[in-house]
Amino acid sequence: MTDKEIYRIWAPLGKRWSEWVRPVPFVEIHEHSKAYSLTLHDVPVPDLSEDKFKDAAIIVDLPGAESVEAGLAYARLGYRPIPLFNGTIEQSGARTTVDNQSVGMALVEGVKVVRELDLKEEALPVFMLDSNRLHRHRIDVTVFDNSWDIYAHDMPSADYFIKNNIHKIVVVGDFIGRDLRKILYGFQKKKLEIWFAKDDNEPKKIKVRKPLWGEVE
Amino acid sequence: MKLIPIPKDKYDEYKLTLMFDCYKWDPQYLDHNTVAPYAVVVTKEEHKELVKLIEAIDAETTAAEEYINQHQELIKPLALPKRIRRELHKITNYERDKHVRLKRYDFHPTVEGKWAVSEVNSDVPGGYAEGSLMPKLALDTIGAGDKYWCMNFGEVMVKAISGKVRPGGRIMLVHCTSYSDDRQVMQFLGDRLKEAGFEVLYGAADHVKYENGKAYSILDGNEGELDMVYRYTPLEWMIEMRRKYYKDYYGSTVPTCNHPIAMYAQTKRFPLLWDELERNGISMATWRELLPETLEVKDAKGKEGYIYKPACGRVGDGISIKEACIGNEYKEIMKDVKWHPKKYLAQKRFNPQPLEGENGEKYNVCLGCYTIDGKHAAYYARISKSMRIDSSAADTPVLIEKGE
Repeated sequence: MTDKEIYRIWAPLGKRWSEWVRPVPFVEIHEHSKAYSLTLHDVPVPDLSEDKFKDAAIIVDLPGAESVEAGLAYARLGYRPIPLFNGTIEQSGARTTVDNQSVGMALVEGVKVVRELDLKEEALPVFMLDSNRLHRHRIDVTVFDNSWDIYAHDMPSADYFIKNNIHKIVVVGDFIGRDLRKILYGFQKKKLEIWFAKDDNEPKKIKVRKPLWGEVE
Repeated sequence: MKLIPIPKDKYDEYKLTLMFDCYKWDPQYLDHNTVAPYAVVVTKEEHKELVKLIEAIDAETTAAEEYINQHQELIKPLALPKRIRRELHKITNYERDKHVRLKRYDFHPTVEGKWAVSEVNSDVPGGYAEGSLMPKLALDTIGAGDKYWCMNFGEVMVKAISGKVRPGGRIMLVHCTSYSDDRQVMQFLGDRLKEAGFEVLYGAADHVKYENGKAYSILDGNEGELDMVYRYTPLEWMIEMRRKYYKDYYGSTVPTCNHPIAMYAQTKRFPLLWDELERNGISMATWRELLPETLEVKDAKGKEGYIYKPACGRVGDGISIKEACIGNEYKEIMKDVKWHPKKYLAQKRFNPQPLEGENGEKYNVCLGCYTIDGKHAAYYARISKSMRIDSSAADTPVLIEKGE
């Protein structure tokens, strides 16, 4: 399969939310220099089947391929999986801060699941992020920094969510990264409810604190 | 100038090809599609007129920056960041011919039937693939090669670099490696340079170390001397990182693009030096013809029809065009102008002539005009229904009419 074909399976034409699928990991699939043996597993995810989550979009923010696995778990439940991965591939030969190649490979593997899905037109979105993206610390200045942040402009606006009858955002992850927190704070200001689910615990409604001075985009 | 549509039945394939074969990795910005369903067509006459203006204004910029560099006592009104100011005195051996000098002038058609220039992107202008592969793809998609032609930024840039770097030389493309938006620009150029036989390294500003006038890569697994440093990290960001590595950058003769000399015209406060330049025999006539009146913030107080622009602003963000600002943005900008007037300038608003889409919708256009070493090299356009052409504008290829 070509990179374009893989992308089109994840971002089917004319389907709501597809426009936000970032092409970066797909464009770079042929640039991978590492050999992976990767198998995606069915993983348990927090239960969002209650009625109160009928108007909720999900953001899965887990490390690397785990994020793809959790995204696919929700996709099997009827959510449309939207990869937001945006990290680049390193200069060949250099050590890196983040392994973005493994995410690309997980997306290639995930195609087997996604192409079998028969999602409804009005399927709610599950956005996928790699929580390792924020690994900015370099043990040495010579290391290639391919960490990345998610920005508000990489996602739909709060107004767009509301226009599409989405009033809640559920973050599934181990923590809420500082970059995502900024975006969530903006959503909260626009009256979207923010929920957080860690491991497979029951989601809890949270109040996102105002980003500190200098953190606001 | 006019807009012509990308055929609707071909648009999806056009956009997909742009993403995968033409380095357009940021096709969405918030709720906006950033790939315009149009191409901009410049008439043969407009192109001829533009080339003349672009090369004339570029000659003035080049003469000005070299004069300012020789007379650094003049730079105070530019309000350059202190850390940059402290280093500029090290530029003692700048030789234009050793480096590649890239600039992009943003032209706008006005209702008076003239051109206005809103700024020069003198330091690290972007949009390379949009000025190279995008118009070629549009030309093929529309199937109008008999009527139009297009320029190719990549070809001109590679030729310029080939003239200044030894064959097979080692070039580091310095950029903010955490930003895929920057990498897409560098990847386009890197692939073209590799095709031309150069060795290309992708690295960050702190992967280059200057010592004894030479540049070295310290990038893990890719160490060694560099024949060129191609910089896509803005100078004011670069200076914040590993300053000690860059103590020799300003005085280095290792070919670079762009050399730090670019900062003199990058600040939007550049026009505040023109009177002084003209007193010393540097003509700024073309600039004066094209740039709307520009004043210190304090001198615009109480005057109607001025907007405020940040001195170190990029991609149109932070400009106080009230109707284009979202939410509290206008209030926030005006508050910042009040507190930091020296970080801004006031500029007379011009009346842009919008172009009409196929259903009568109006688009404002910003026509980016590149120069490389003084010659017009390519176009890159962005269109927007908003009065401000910023990050949410749509990228649009530029085609040139062949004429009779």
